[in-house]
Amino acid sequence: MPRVRDDYEDDLDEEEGDEYGGEELLDDEEEAEDEEEDEDYDAGEKSAKKRRRSEFIDDAALEDDEEEDDDYGGRRSSKKGRGGGGFIDDIALEADEEEEEEEEGEDDFIVDNPADIVEDDDRRMHRRPLLPREDQEEDVEDLERRIQERYARSSQAEYDEETTDVEQQALLPSVRDPKLWMVKCAIGREREVAVCLMQKFIDKGSELQIRSAIALDHLKNYIYIEADKEAHVREAIKGMRNIFGAKITLVPIKEMTDVLSVESKAIDLSRDTWVRMKTGTYKGDLAKVLDVDNVRQRVTVKLIPRIDLQALANKLDGREVAKKKAFVPPPRFMNIEEARELHIRVERRRDPMTGDYYENIGGMMFKDGFLIKTVSMKSISTQNIQPTFDELEKFRQPDERDGEIGSLSTLFANRKKGHFMKGDAVIIVKGDLKNLKGWVEKVEDGNVHIRPNEKGLPVLCSTSELFLQYSKLVLSVCLLLSFFMQKTLAINEKELCKYFEPGNHVKVISGSHEGATGMVVKVEGHVLIILSDTTKEHIRVFADHVVESSEVTTGVTKLGDFELHDLVLLDNMSFGVIIRVESEAFQVLKGVPDRPEVVLVRLREIKSKIDKKLVAQDRSKNTISVKDVVRVLEGPCKGKQGPVEHIFRGVLFIYDRHHLEHAGFICAKSQSCLVVGGSRGNREKIGDPLSYLRTPQRVPQSPGRLPPRAGGRHRGGPGGRGHDSLIGTTVKIRLGPYKGYRGRVKDIKGTTVRVELESQMKEVTGKDSSRYGMGSETPMHPSRTPMHPYMTPMRDPGATPIHDGIIGKKRILLRGEPPGSPPSRTYDAPTPGSGWANTPGGSYDAATPRDNGSAYVNAPSPYLPSTPGQPMTPSSAAYLPGTPGGQPMTPGGGGLDMMSPAIGGENEGLWLLPDILVNVHKPGDDAMIGVVQEVMADGSCRVALGSDGSGDMVTAQPNEIEVIQPRKSDKIKIMGGAQRGSTGKLIGVDGTDGIVKVDDTLDVKILDMGILAKLAQS
Amino acid sequence: MFFHIILERNMQLHPRHFGSRLRDKLVSKLIKEVEGTCSGRHGFVVAIMGIEHVGKGLIRDGTGFVTFPVKYKCVVFRPFKGEILEAVVTMVNKMGFFAETGPVQVFVSNHLIPDDMEFQSGDTPNYITSDGSVKIQKDSEVRLKIIGTRVDATEIFCIGTIKDDFLGVISDPGAAA
Repeated sequence: MPRVRDDYEDDLDEEEGDEYGGEELLDDEEEAEDEEEDEDYDAGEKSAKKRRRSEFIDDAALEDDEEEDDDYGGRRSSKKGRGGGGFIDDIALEADEEEEEEEEGEDDFIVDNPADIVEDDDRRMHRRPLLPREDQEEDVEDLERRIQERYARSSQAEYDEETTDVEQQALLPSVRDPKLWMVKCAIGREREVAVCLMQKFIDKGSELQIRSAIALDHLKNYIYIEADKEAHVREAIKGMRNIFGAKITLVPIKEMTDVLSVESKAIDLSRDTWVRMKTGTYKGDLAKVLDVDNVRQRVTVKLIPRIDLQALANKLDGREVAKKKAFVPPPRFMNIEEARELHIRVERRRDPMTGDYYENIGGMMFKDGFLIKTVSMKSISTQNIQPTFDELEKFRQPDERDGEIGSLSTLFANRKKGHFMKGDAVIIVKGDLKNLKGWVEKVEDGNVHIRPNEKGLPVLCSTSELFLQYSKLVLSVCLLLSFFMQKTLAINEKELCKYFEPGNHVKVISGSHEGATGMVVKVEGHVLIILSDTTKEHIRVFADHVVESSEVTTGVTKLGDFELHDLVLLDNMSFGVIIRVESEAFQVLKGVPDRPEVVLVRLREIKSKIDKKLVAQDRSKNTISVKDVVRVLEGPCKGKQGPVEHIFRGVLFIYDRHHLEHAGFICAKSQSCLVVGGSRGNREKIGDPLSYLRTPQRVPQSPGRLPPRAGGRHRGGPGGRGHDSLIGTTVKIRLGPYKGYRGRVKDIKGTTVRVELESQMKEVTGKDSSRYGMGSETPMHPSRTPMHPYMTPMRDPGATPIHDGIIGKKRILLRGEPPGSPPSRTYDAPTPGSGWANTPGGSYDAATPRDNGSAYVNAPSPYLPSTPGQPMTPSSAAYLPGTPGGQPMTPGGGGLDMMSPAIGGENEGLWLLPDILVNVHKPGDDAMIGVVQEVMADGSCRVALGSDGSGDMVTAQPNEIEVIQPRKSDKIKIMGGAQRGSTGKLIGVDGTDGIVKVDDTLDVKILDMGILAKLAQS
Repeated sequence: MFFHIILERNMQLHPRHFGSRLRDKLVSKLIKEVEGTCSGRHGFVVAIMGIEHVGKGLIRDGTGFVTFPVKYKCVVFRPFKGEILEAVVTMVNKMGFFAETGPVQVFVSNHLIPDDMEFQSGDTPNYITSDGSVKIQKDSEVRLKIIGTRVDATEIFCIGTIKDDFLGVISDPGAAA
């Protein structure tokens, strides 16, 4: 039974280690120091001075540094400056030497290692290079002895297990005992301060009347000092840096024990466990424990190296190495050949301990491509390690034989509580009963009672021999009683693994595929291959991560606001269908018709869900809408057929149940598909009324407003889109019980609109959007935005709150328009000036047009005809004088570019006045300066060319005219507001405001630059 | 496996069908409703062989519909774990192949295909042995063993294996041609 013995011994060892580790309270402190020492010597390359400093500081960053140094193969240190740590106990020294020894053992063969040559004598004494092994052993024994001596005192207490509660009580501090004082110190200097106090105590001896100083890792900013009187504390900390004596608080007796009670965090590290690195280049990387040294708190781990060979080569050659590493090299197995090609020295050595061969490159050890590294226990995390499959796969790659069992041990360690349930099929994976299958009968903590399915089990033949065997198996404690009586076996749960057979239907309950269900296709040891129910793909999971279940789920189907199979808009304006939801990301099949492109997208990278009922046209101009069955006629998915799930920008997402990739989704251009059978007849009635109301002659609007898209422009596309843009706008309900109510559009779905009523604090859903203002509007005024007619609410802008985002813009935009402009108004009042007659000047305060302007600039404006040279009907012309303003204006007017369009929107072509200087842009001609002579009823002007109006007379359309911005001290004419028509002088410009001295009244007014025009010299 | 069993179902009949042809109507409606459906317990209803018994109708308040309890004989098909079936391959991909035996879809994973058969992509993706003697492609007939079933409300899905003695291709469309 060699195995058993092994286990047993192991256990003993462990116990010893634990004992040693568990009993110190204050020694903890020193231990930590030791740790640092190790680290330091290990990493080497630090000057004595620096090292000295670092002895005192537990600085994560420092450790980090060291880690990194390590990576690039710190030469083993020469032991200068050790004297600095005078107070460091000899254990630490011993440990160091020990370590040196071990490492030196391999370094022996290095000839050119400078570190080796400069050794000091102190070191040599301990070194017997020829017999490293014996040396080692002796040292270990020596070390053990020392430890025994050192801790003998306290271990007595440890063995005294009979301590009763009463006795324990007696140990509690009482009033007569020294008290604990909490003293404030600099953050991060807690340890330093404590160590300084220790030094002070050593130096001053009994002068210091404090009993102890304690720095706790978890308590920042404070240390504890044990002393009888506060005065003693004050005395002790006098003259010390980093400690602030002003605030000394007494710790109540009751709480004193809490200060020093250590939450036992037994690190259960054993060989072959999986851990993760906490610091350095390998931070977060999975590592496998090869060796644990509980005494020195060091662990030898196996990692996949992240080494930039080139950088390493450079470094070893002594060439300049970029100080700052811009990136962390990806993990890759060390390829010795490659290294040799880069002229990196690779040595092959035998490890004196294990007898294995290692490749040594620049101080780093490699085996089978893995990096073998010895690190401090503190720099690895052992809790909750859930290695992903990929990681484990990688670890397995080089040598297949090593794998399963080893990896299992940690997987088991991280099991959740209540892992096994009654009825689970299990298999024993360790010990004598390995491979015995059974069912769980009962679960007690740590032990699982199983009913073996093997009939001929030695239930009755269990002699004393068997008894002995089992009692030795510390881990697999067999409750023999139950063994006999109930024919169940009690097995430690760490020795059990769930067991499945092909064909079982299971559900994954942890790991990356959590939530998925499927059928077991294959069992490979403790790894199951499952055929997922939804994706029909193979999933590899650990047997431990699944339970048998008849449930059929897709796994996670929702993350954030997005669900599986949603069409989403991605960050970079591309779009796609979510085909899989993972724990933190989505797999999205992008809307690229030519080839299936799947991207992994994080939640935040998704902009929004696209939830629109769009239609597209197929090859023969049939309308395709969602749920229509189409056949793909060309492209990579030719011949596939299925219902359309999403339509966006002329791209169809088709769900083909027989298509196994991408969750059955196929992405194709609408043009390369053909609707199968007839489209549903009533669709025209359902989906289209909106689009068809608004489609005709929306040309000027759509190109500006909508991103061009294939196929979408024909019919419903713009309709749907345009409709959506109404979200957030204020509408008035025309029909039905809510007739006359005003509200904000919250959501539009198909033909229904949800409107949040302003007056009633509630949301109503309206059926047909023609009931709302904008629905009926559009056909009449093709070039207008649908918002116009309901200007009424905007008359009193104060009444409605201005919302941000789109809503805000829309609102402001609305507000800036001619107040109370019912559709008729613009048509029946074409004469200049009349528009202003009913304009309350107040609403044109400087702020409004400015906001207005920005709204125009930001949002593609329906006022801008994007088709230049488009013939203007007189009626539409009335809207267009503003247009030129949308183009870059006269140079020099910094803020004016932005302003001008506002004027356009605001003044609607009635703003030109005679005698002002303008630029006339006739198509095909350069801009000509002219003086407006007369403004016609239709908005066009007669302009006399030449800066003084001496040239030819031309008639210019409003959109060809651009007002020349006045400069400082120019004569101006005011074109808007109450003072319209007056002349004055611009005495200053302040941003978008002009300071004007009005001629008539000699008042100085601040007016918007937008309403000022340069007056022609007469 | 096929079973000939008697099942019962409550049929609702619209009042307009009341008359001399009530029974015919009931039967045709039953056939329409039941044939081709799937229940987890009984499997697929393949065909209705006859009506065993039509119970007394009960007029439902308010609607005028009449509910008849109908007992009928039918043939059901239910796949079982371990059952050997013959199936026609419908699709082959790198993960395995799908085959159909009547209404039941069976997936044979590539893990459950003999190791000497390799997947070959191309125009007609197939699994083929290294010597080319055995080939599984679309429309091949295979004999497989069910190793797992999943029963949904409307579908029974099975996982099968051909990695066993006497399983595999029984007729190859390529060979026949």
